[in-house]
Amino acid sequence: MSQMKRKMLPALALATTLAGFSGAVHAADPWVVEANDSEIEFKGTQLGAEFEGEFKSFTAEIVFSPDDLAGSSVEVLIDIASVDTENGDRDSQIVSPDWFDAAQWPTAKFATKSFSEIAPGKYEAVADLTIRDVTREVTLPFDLEIKGNEAEAKGTVTINRTDFGVGQGQWADTSQVGDPVTIEIEIEAKRP
Amino acid sequence: MTLRSTKQAFGAVTKTIHWVMALLVISVFSIGWYMDFLPLGMEKLEWISRHKSLGVTVLALVILRVIWRHSEQTPKELSDLQIERLAAKAGHLGLYLLMFAMPLTGWTMSSAANYPVSVFGLFTLPNLVSPNQELFETLRTAHWLLSWAIAGLVGVHILAALKHHFWDRDATLRRMLPGKIEEN
Repeated sequence: MSQMKRKMLPALALATTLAGFSGAVHAADPWVVEANDSEIEFKGTQLGAEFEGEFKSFTAEIVFSPDDLAGSSVEVLIDIASVDTENGDRDSQIVSPDWFDAAQWPTAKFATKSFSEIAPGKYEAVADLTIRDVTREVTLPFDLEIKGNEAEAKGTVTINRTDFGVGQGQWADTSQVGDPVTIEIEIEAKRP
Repeated sequence: MTLRSTKQAFGAVTKTIHWVMALLVISVFSIGWYMDFLPLGMEKLEWISRHKSLGVTVLALVILRVIWRHSEQTPKELSDLQIERLAAKAGHLGLYLLMFAMPLTGWTMSSAANYPVSVFGLFTLPNLVSPNQELFETLRTAHWLLSWAIAGLVGVHILAALKHHFWDRDATLRRMLPGKIEEN
């Protein structure tokens, strides 16, 4: 037992030093998103009834450490054309000029500006969300669970589509296609 | 006029449901046609909303109607010809089936298209099937064919009522009208 302790101590000391050192140099840890286990979904309303959809393709650059929120950042690029609401007609409408105009603005961007911890395992990200040519600040509360080198984040934020010009002309009317859209993210990532 | 029907006369409840449903079925059919011709836009969506909400109302009423019909007597057919009585029975059965089939195919095709059905914005019906483009197209065709079947059968129903009224000069039509009738 005592022999083991003696062997472990230098290793522990080294690990602690390295951890402290790396913490000082790198702002926070980089994470790689597990695309197959991650989802960006949304809920909208149409003719008074709620429907769900998702953006199947997106990329994310994540640098995050709970103990270095100031040095943490997340940038997500969402491929608008990858929208799937399980209705081909609606999907082709969504990418059309009246809505997202994916030909002109093929990606939406979510870029964090700051993080804050509101409770253990619960955070808030203040971010710039850009859809079409409109950038607005949104606050995304999310739950984060880190187990070893794996992390899972879940969050929900509701935005108004008309704030971003999604729904031009007659579609700015929100009586048949509702204004609020709830975005639900579920991200799984690994620390390489 | 009593609430319940007797062997001779229709009661107030049946008469009311009959005429409300007549109005609804004609409205939903007309709206269905009109909205199909509109280009995609707010107006089209507004009419689709109305079509769905009124269609669900038809479904609710036909359920009530069937329950009510089983709880009371049905006035006797006035024709002396057995073939006419059989034709009337078949026609009425067909109308009942179609009043179920129309809203049910509509609701299911909306589900298959992942366009859930809201009823006057008050509540949303659960999807009956998961989204499925092929199923949607099949149901859309069925809904369209059935709409013609019900239009045809309603036409026959009206013609038959008029035939009873003007040709046979019996009480078939009059006894479904509001108010009390004596002779039968």
